[in-house]
Amino acid sequence: MVNALIALITGLTTGGLSCLAVQGGLLASSLAAQLEQDVQQPRPPRSRQGNADRPVPPGMAAPILLFLAAKLAAYTLLGFLLGLAGSMVQLGTIGRAVLQFAIGVFMIGNALRMLNVHPIFRYFAFEPPKVLTRYLRRRAKRDTGWLTPLLLGALTVLIPCGVTQSMMALAVATGDPFAGAAILFAFTLGASPVFFAVAYFATRLGTRLERYFNRLVAVTVLVLGFVAIETGLNLMGSPYSISALARNLTGAPVAAAEAMPDGAQVLSIDVKNYGYIPEVLVAAADRPVRLELKTWNTRSCSRAFTIPALKLEKLLPATGTVVVEIPPQPAGSVLQFSCSMGMYGGVIRFN
Amino acid sequence: MTRKILKVNEMSCPACVMRLESIEDELPGIYRIDASYHRQEMVVEFDESLVTMAQILQAVEQKGYHPLIKET
Repeated sequence: MVNALIALITGLTTGGLSCLAVQGGLLASSLAAQLEQDVQQPRPPRSRQGNADRPVPPGMAAPILLFLAAKLAAYTLLGFLLGLAGSMVQLGTIGRAVLQFAIGVFMIGNALRMLNVHPIFRYFAFEPPKVLTRYLRRRAKRDTGWLTPLLLGALTVLIPCGVTQSMMALAVATGDPFAGAAILFAFTLGASPVFFAVAYFATRLGTRLERYFNRLVAVTVLVLGFVAIETGLNLMGSPYSISALARNLTGAPVAAAEAMPDGAQVLSIDVKNYGYIPEVLVAAADRPVRLELKTWNTRSCSRAFTIPALKLEKLLPATGTVVVEIPPQPAGSVLQFSCSMGMYGGVIRFN
Repeated sequence: MTRKILKVNEMSCPACVMRLESIEDELPGIYRIDASYHRQEMVVEFDESLVTMAQILQAVEQKGYHPLIKET
């Protein structure tokens, strides 16, 4: 659900315009020639204001809506299939971490491409096969019936924009067909209003937003890329993730282990929807630890508790207490724990 | 058939490739256009008796780009 919400917000903020840049040509081709000129053509030289006073041609809303509806259905199906593919691979914690790293590198590369940092980053953009783009272009121009925008909307799955490709990677990472479908549904739905508005009002919105838009998209993708890298680091139990460094710097609340008569020590973590409390726990070295994980109506991914160094993964009940036995650890060692998505985490220090 | 390579440095994403390649449907006499976002150039194959280089350059400029002839 959190991922779908992020996808929706990403779609709302950057997805519409980013997708329009790549897929707008198809939409424009399937509409009237006037719309094609207004939306699709980049600003001609010395004409920065565009044709702001040109009225919207009548009858434009229906084909745009058909295009977007078909696009929404096609991407939801694609998300389902990507999630299904992710579930078949059955990635372990390290596999998910590597996938998150790859997603992060891909996103950061794309962001740097958009910011024109260096020509090498152009290779992070996927160029659709010529045969495909040529077919789509000619199909779009050939007929003007209602079926064309429907067909072309569905076929946009074959030419995803950079932000969409990032969302597709997230859908694979969920490893769940329904979660994958939810991500691409939410993203495409979020992108639709902006896509519709820019296509419908043509240059009136386009020229004003264009100047700021590319940087906005790039910065958003850059942030998402760093979040993916951070997630990967958390999944690997790395002490160098931003959240791990922040815990060290800010002095997060610390809980010490409670000694039991049988020599064991008990640590307790409240597993909340938004993370683990406390995030830092301290136990004595060279003695086993009984770790109690307590949930109360917990619905987020924090329920999927992992300690990568011990290869321990537990799916906690929504409400209840699960006890995990941790073998004795040497003095000075630190065990990182996190949720299976790498979004929330904490550490156990052994003194 | 004549083959020219144009340098088009303003391609900002793969969408520009589709935009530039659509010229092959718009100008008679063009056999094929292969544009590359990665290389920032387009290869045009055309019949000089049907379309001139000046017309092709103009068509590219009308799409909002500033092409330069790279080699003959």
